[in-house]
Amino acid sequence: MAAQEISVHQLAQCITCHAWSPDHSMIALCPNNNEVHIYKLSPDRTNWEKLHVLQKHDQLVSGIDWSLRTNRIVTASHDRNSYVWNQEGSEWVPTLVILRLNRAALCVQWSPKENKFAVGSGAKTVCICYYEQDNNWWVSKLIRKKHESSVTSVAWHPNNILLATTSTDGKCRVFSTFIKGVDTRDSKAGSSSDSRFGEQIVQLDLSISWAFGVKWSPSGNTLAYAGHNSMIYFVDDVGPTPLAQNVAFRDLPLRDVLFVSEKMVIGVGFDCSPMVFAADERGIWSFIKYLGERRSSLSGSKHGSQISGAFGKFYGQSKLGASNDALEPSRSRGGVHENCINCIVPLKEGGSSRIRRFSTSGLDGRVVIWDLENQEDLSQYL
Amino acid sequence: MSSQASSLRLYLTCIRNTLDAAMCLQNFPCQEVERHNKPEVELKTSPELLLNPVLICRNEAERCLIETSINSLRISLKVKQADELENILTKKFLRFLSMRAEAFQVLRRKPVQGYDISFLITNYHSEDMQKQKLIDFIIQFMEDIDKEISDLKMSVNTRGRLVATEFLKQFI
Repeated sequence: MAAQEISVHQLAQCITCHAWSPDHSMIALCPNNNEVHIYKLSPDRTNWEKLHVLQKHDQLVSGIDWSLRTNRIVTASHDRNSYVWNQEGSEWVPTLVILRLNRAALCVQWSPKENKFAVGSGAKTVCICYYEQDNNWWVSKLIRKKHESSVTSVAWHPNNILLATTSTDGKCRVFSTFIKGVDTRDSKAGSSSDSRFGEQIVQLDLSISWAFGVKWSPSGNTLAYAGHNSMIYFVDDVGPTPLAQNVAFRDLPLRDVLFVSEKMVIGVGFDCSPMVFAADERGIWSFIKYLGERRSSLSGSKHGSQISGAFGKFYGQSKLGASNDALEPSRSRGGVHENCINCIVPLKEGGSSRIRRFSTSGLDGRVVIWDLENQEDLSQYL
Repeated sequence: MSSQASSLRLYLTCIRNTLDAAMCLQNFPCQEVERHNKPEVELKTSPELLLNPVLICRNEAERCLIETSINSLRISLKVKQADELENILTKKFLRFLSMRAEAFQVLRRKPVQGYDISFLITNYHSEDMQKQKLIDFIIQFMEDIDKEISDLKMSVNTRGRLVATEFLKQFI
């Protein structure tokens, strides 16, 4: 694989989530604490400069989303709050959003029209927030009593009304989020715009374990989400009679998925290498390959030394040094990432819906930008 | 003794593979208590956040229980104790380690009932330590504990014999 197709940036010790500015020159990320750091890539594209540190939350920031058109950042945190950040001059000015939650907020996403955003929470609810001009603040409306456990991920349908959620009770649900005065009834959108706010369109009960990382395809015809039992689920015709496909794979479960095109999905998770899934001409989904080479040798032990140090105190370093040939050496996972990948974000080309590049971040503190442009074996699915 | 050595290897390989699959942890705040973030495997407040526990037994005396939840993992070991001397040595030795649990980070101060020693691995450990190294540590620990106990037993016996010899010399 050519070197220019992957660019690796070590930006922190550990990254929980990240988001890109509309022109992809800046990245907002949470270095596994209560802050959001905004970095800018220097013009010569070699090093990153820390421009801003957004400090308002007092617990771990669990979700960041940067709106493409309005250039606003929304953050969600375990401290039960959410902030919308507006750039005024060179400063980012926060606006507190009262989510009316009594548990942690876990994920956040702007709607396609960027007039609403959805927050999934540990209170087994989803908040739909919209801006109220009269009061000059963000109002939160809750979808209650539908989820039986924490909401791990939310995804907006391109029509700005439907919202898909996954939760740790293993279900994927689709809701209508029509809000009077914010959304307009659209005859083209069909039946989905007739339903009331919070109405459950469908509940998908495919996974026997926790469900994570729900996404819609660019057209909104297909829905994909991952289960913790190393399965990925594809659902067509979301509505009264959905068509579902389950794809099992042999490696560790996924945390998040991304539709690159109608026929191709990238999954990232505990296995440290992104996995490519694609649909053939009959629409049957299958696992295609891993992105990035899988390294076979064990990498230097920077982090592991802590624990072996403690071990050595009791057993004497010499014992530890003797290699243990009775057991096979541990299998090293991944190549580009060295720990679980928990976030995948598309890098959309200006204006078009084409996705050729995407970025991943993980617990190893790296942001990796992947380019699918020159991958001949995948071009048929793009 | 080669069959015994290979049975130990199978036992440890089985534990290693189970740990590899089970150690898929993430940060997960408590659903029951506001602004808390605690290992779910210890609290057990939400049954849907726990996975099925796995029990791996080598024989009646040696077993390993792996309990997994969304943000934490608990490994409990039962070490082989053939006689009373081994029993007392194991107890004393593992108590010595447990009292120094903070030096080990992943060691639990008190073993789960029915087991000799327990480890608790949370998502914070998997964030700042490599997963493979953590698994290697547990496996290495299990390998060494048997050796350590038999070494201790041997030195107790040797010393006993030496003392007895010295003591009985005066009657010659």
